[in-house]
Amino acid sequence: MAPTTAFQAHVYRSLPETERSGAIVDRISKAISLGLLKVGERLPPETALSEMFGVAPSTLREALSDLRQQGIVATRRGRSGGTFILRQPFTSEEAMRSWFQETSIAEIRDVGDEHAAIAAATVRLACERAEPHEVGRLLELARGLALSDTPEARARADSRFHIELAVLAQSPRLTNAEIRLQAEIVQALWAPLPSTRDPERVAAEHLALARAIADDASEHAQRLVLEHIRHDIHHLVDTKLSLGYPTSRQERP
Amino acid sequence: MTAQAPARTAAAEIAAWMNALGVDVHAFAARTAALWTDRTRPFGLTPGDVAHLEGLAGEFLAAHPFVVGAGVIFSAEAIQGNDGGLEWWIRRQDTVEKLEFDLTPGGERFYDYQNMPFFASASRTGEQTSWGPYVDYLGLDEYILTHSAPIQLGGTFAGVAGCDIRIRTLEEIFMPVLRAIPGDAALINASGRVVVGNSGAYLVGERIRSTPAGSEMIPVEVPHLGFSLLSRRQGVPPDRAQDRTSATLADSDLPQGEHS
Repeated sequence: MAPTTAFQAHVYRSLPETERSGAIVDRISKAISLGLLKVGERLPPETALSEMFGVAPSTLREALSDLRQQGIVATRRGRSGGTFILRQPFTSEEAMRSWFQETSIAEIRDVGDEHAAIAAATVRLACERAEPHEVGRLLELARGLALSDTPEARARADSRFHIELAVLAQSPRLTNAEIRLQAEIVQALWAPLPSTRDPERVAAEHLALARAIADDASEHAQRLVLEHIRHDIHHLVDTKLSLGYPTSRQERP
Repeated sequence: MTAQAPARTAAAEIAAWMNALGVDVHAFAARTAALWTDRTRPFGLTPGDVAHLEGLAGEFLAAHPFVVGAGVIFSAEAIQGNDGGLEWWIRRQDTVEKLEFDLTPGGERFYDYQNMPFFASASRTGEQTSWGPYVDYLGLDEYILTHSAPIQLGGTFAGVAGCDIRIRTLEEIFMPVLRAIPGDAALINASGRVVVGNSGAYLVGERIRSTPAGSEMIPVEVPHLGFSLLSRRQGVPPDRAQDRTSATLADSDLPQGEHS
């Protein structure tokens, strides 16, 4: 066995204040991505936060200032003041690279399997339950991707379209499942890495799917959404491989 | 037949309940309108105005324990700037809390309220409206029904005042009335969607595209809301009664030894 005590000592060493501040930023960002904290929500008062996190007030202020600089939260003064969540954080390119390195192809495929199961049922119910004017909104959201020009905006438009399918299915549970799945993969799909998903093609797939739902063509719509998700998964696997697959041979010359 | 059919009695009871709610929502809209009568359009929304609205929404929530959210939405033409278009409060245990919405078009969680049916329909028709059941994604994030009435200022539409009711609460409210109807029955909204059904035959959220054979749609007489009650036509034996008959037959067909 490789000697791990040195590494373990490194893992368990006491945290410097700067890392604590970073950990707070990470934890709040992650909670927003996962929908545990919602955009618009007010964070507890600073004194309560620093007590709960077990950090000095200055450390907490540093974390909040970092979150403000990233545009994730804003602080308002006055009676109805406080620190509010403004938007979902977009993961850094570096963090995306390490996501691809740490996530195995088996895990990527498995996320795809779950998404396919949820999406096929969602699309079948959306066909049964959506009203014509609701489908109008879906078509509009499908076009949204073609109008977006940044990775963040594309990720947002992509996930918004998929979540709308679950809203049309009239199911709070499927909506929550879709929100969770989107939080897991949508940033990886649109990460500004060497190989990128073609927004035009994805928009075309969304539009075809929305039209199939408008036409009440349930079987066709289910097939389209399964193909669409397979393309997503192929893209994620291709991206992972294009970033290099470290082998034990390369690591030990 | 002299006695009213159970389904007609149920439709009348549901209509009475909804009309009473409609009166209260209209009164809520009128009270909010009274805050602005001496203003010129487009008016600004001061912190004092918002505090006033919070008081009115809080009163509405206190008077209607089955309501989970209440507030007002102003039309973009009625107010200055983009802020303050949507002022909505929800019940949280013992307190009333303001719902925060993303009202920036293209924003991360943009809540496109001007296109939400409970706003758009009242704006188009100038009448009370009801929308749901729907998953209020980016709003309350729950499965609800919203009932709203227009706010008229000097005869001009300025927005809506309304309230949200959880579908699970509506189910509790209407189930006793619906269970009094023999056979499968359901309250259906204006777009043919089931709001509450009295059995597994009609499930909430499903759309009834055509009236099933042997059934009829009885209008629920509430102006402009378009609700109706789907039930078996009188004289047509209810499905469930038939099921029970066949179940009894099947039981009696079992060998005697199975029962002892």
